[in-house]
Formats: sequence, structure tokens, C-alpha cells
Amino acid sequence: MFAIIHKWHKKFGVFSALFVIFLVISGIALNHSEQLQLNNKFIQMQWLLEVYQINPASEPLSFEADGIRVSQLGERIYFDKREIAKDAQQLIGIVSANNIVTVAFDGQLLLLSKEGETIEHLAGVEGVPAGMREIGTDDQGDIVIKAAHGYYHVNLDALEWKEYDHLDADWSLVSTMPEELNENLLQQYRGSGLTIERVLLDLHSGRIVGPWGVYFVDFIALMLLLLSCTGVWMWWKRS
Amino acid sequence: MIKIISSLVLAIYVIQMSTLSVAKGVYLEPEKFLQQVFENKPPQPEKLWVTKALKSDINSILGHDLNVVRLRYWDDGSKTVWILEEIGRDKPITVGLVVKESKIEQLNVLIFRESRGWEVKYPFFTDQFKQSTLGLDNQLDRNIDGISGATLSVNALTKLARLALYLDSRVKNK
Repeated sequence: MFAIIHKWHKKFGVFSALFVIFLVISGIALNHSEQLQLNNKFIQMQWLLEVYQINPASEPLSFEADGIRVSQLGERIYFDKREIAKDAQQLIGIVSANNIVTVAFDGQLLLLSKEGETIEHLAGVEGVPAGMREIGTDDQGDIVIKAAHGYYHVNLDALEWKEYDHLDADWSLVSTMPEELNENLLQQYRGSGLTIERVLLDLHSGRIVGPWGVYFVDFIALMLLLLSCTGVWMWWKRS
Repeated sequence: MIKIISSLVLAIYVIQMSTLSVAKGVYLEPEKFLQQVFENKPPQPEKLWVTKALKSDINSILGHDLNVVRLRYWDDGSKTVWILEEIGRDKPITVGLVVKESKIEQLNVLIFRESRGWEVKYPFFTDQFKQSTLGLDNQLDRNIDGISGATLSVNALTKLARLALYLDSRVKNK
């Protein structure tokens, strides 16, 4: 009996060693994820990005005003090629007036200079109307917003929101994104969509290869438990 | 035995799900926070331009740029109110701060988007900031006790408290 258990203890021990080493290293790295900045470093390997299917969930959306293009890929918004918002649901439109570009999305307005410097971020608390549907400019070049409960003539400097039943405006319209820009933004999107921490977590738990990977890591864990038990048992028998 | 194990698993699942449901989300709409602070009569927001001098101090408080050129705040003559954001771990935490006589009168976590560290929303933590003021090097005049597992959220809120006090001092000295 002792000889059999000793033989299997050795075999399981050798088999488990590699996994133990990996689990220990990945576990320590995950424990210090913030210090190692693993949540801020992104995977660039295309095949791994394909495995995780890091792609925008919806078709790209793009608006152009005064030669400036603002586009949405997935939940990200870009001012030309620079990311300006990470958690956007719906880009509504852009207007350019008085050397300021106003980007409307999700009940928020982002004001930028023509060079792309963020001037200000306005939301409901500053008076941005709920249920914003469209943004445009009237014949005076002033900003007009169509929202769920009416139309608003806006002075963003003084934060004045005058409500009307109806206003005519030159509304911001979706335009086709140049292919080159689309490619560039897609690369940026994919290149900032998967952190090292995510991959390490999935490797550590076995989830990277689906449910069977998790069962396999469970099996290794049970094997380690078995090795501990047989190790203690053999030590007790010998002594 | 099987019944005990399945009950335990169910209990753990229920606790976990209920924890997740209270963790992330909008705890208090910023608009409602303003209404509460100013008893339904919030003043028009004021503008604060982030000048070069301000930028440098803000950078030393937050450890990074604020990334905006101007900020809005609310001032009724006796207190200033700031709605500010800072990233805890991955996502911004929106915080409402009331500053009166150069001291924090109120600090509320309004929107929490992270999956961990949400315990900072509770008064047992946020009450520590009450009556705190700025000391040397724009540091708070007191230590803020951390919460295990929420270090980054605690740090974010501490930075925002310092920032609100600093910005209040700047608008008062305008």
C-alpha cells in the first residue's frame, strides 16, 4: 500500500510541479496587479486579440464639422485620432462654433478646442437636457439641441438653456469615415481593449480555454490537496 | 449533507449577488445632490479657469492633469459645491463636495463605476472628511483611515477632498 501511494505521489508531484510554478507566479503577479500596472498595460498580440474577439460591438459612427472629425467605435469616442471618451453609449453629433467643437453623447457635452484640448465637460448637473437626440446650429451659428422634452437654444459660456417647442437648425449628420481613419481607430481600439491583468486572470483560473480549462485547474487543485494528504500520511507512516 | 452544502452554496450566491447589486451605480444623481445642498434653490454655476499656476498645484494634488481648461462650481456666498471625478482603479468615481469656511462640510459619493472599493460610499468612511481643512503642502490636516480592499478608492476620495479645499481657497482669493 505504502509503495503504491509513494509511487503515485511522485508521479502526481512531478506532473503538478509545472502548474504549481505557474499558479504561484501568476498568483503573486495578480496580488500586486496595481503596483505592476497590469491593469493599465495592454496586449498587442493580434492572435490573442482575436481569441478574445476584441472588436467594436457596433458599426463605427462618424461626424464631421469644420474639417474636424469625431467618431465612435464601440464605447470609445475619438477626436480625429485621439481618444476623448471611454464609456460612451451613443455619439449624437458635433458642432463647431466660435472655435470650439462641441461633442454631444449620452446626455453630456464635451467642449474641445479645434486642436483637441478639452475645455470643459458638461452633464445634467450643468443643465444638459435629458434625452438628447440631436445637436446642430441655428442660422446665427448658435447651438441648438433637440431633446426628449423639447428644443433648447444654448449658450454654453453662460450655461443658459432656453426651451422651445420647436427650433429649426442645421443638424449634425452622420458622415462616412475615411477608410484610413477607420483602420487607424480600429487598431487603437483593439490595442487598448485587453489588459495583461485580464489575460493573467484567465490563465490563472483556466478560463482562457473555456469551462474545461476551469475544470482542469480544479483538477490540479484537487491533485495538490491529494499530494498534501499523501505526503502527510507517508511522513506519519515513516515516523 | 448534500442539503447543507447546497444551502451554503445558495447562501453564498445570494450574498454575492446582493453585494454586486449595491456595489456599482448611481447612489445620488448630481442634480439631486445640488438640490439637497441648496434646499431646492441651487445658484447658477460659476466658472473657474484652470490657469498655469492652478494646473501645477492640481497636478501635485492629483498626480496628473485635470485635463480640462475650466471647471464649474456652485457658490451661494456661504459655501461652495464641487462635483469632481477621479479614477480609483479603472473608472472615475463622481463625488459631490461641500466646502464651508475652508472646511469640508459634506462629502458624498454620487456615482461609483468600479467593481471594487464601493465601501467608500458609507458615512462611516465619508464622515472622516467632515471639518477637515488643508494643511501644509495642500495635505489634509488629518489622517483618513483606509478600508481594506478599497485603497485606491480611498486615495481617490482623499485627493478629491484636497482638490475641493484647494479650489475653494482659490475662488475665495480671486
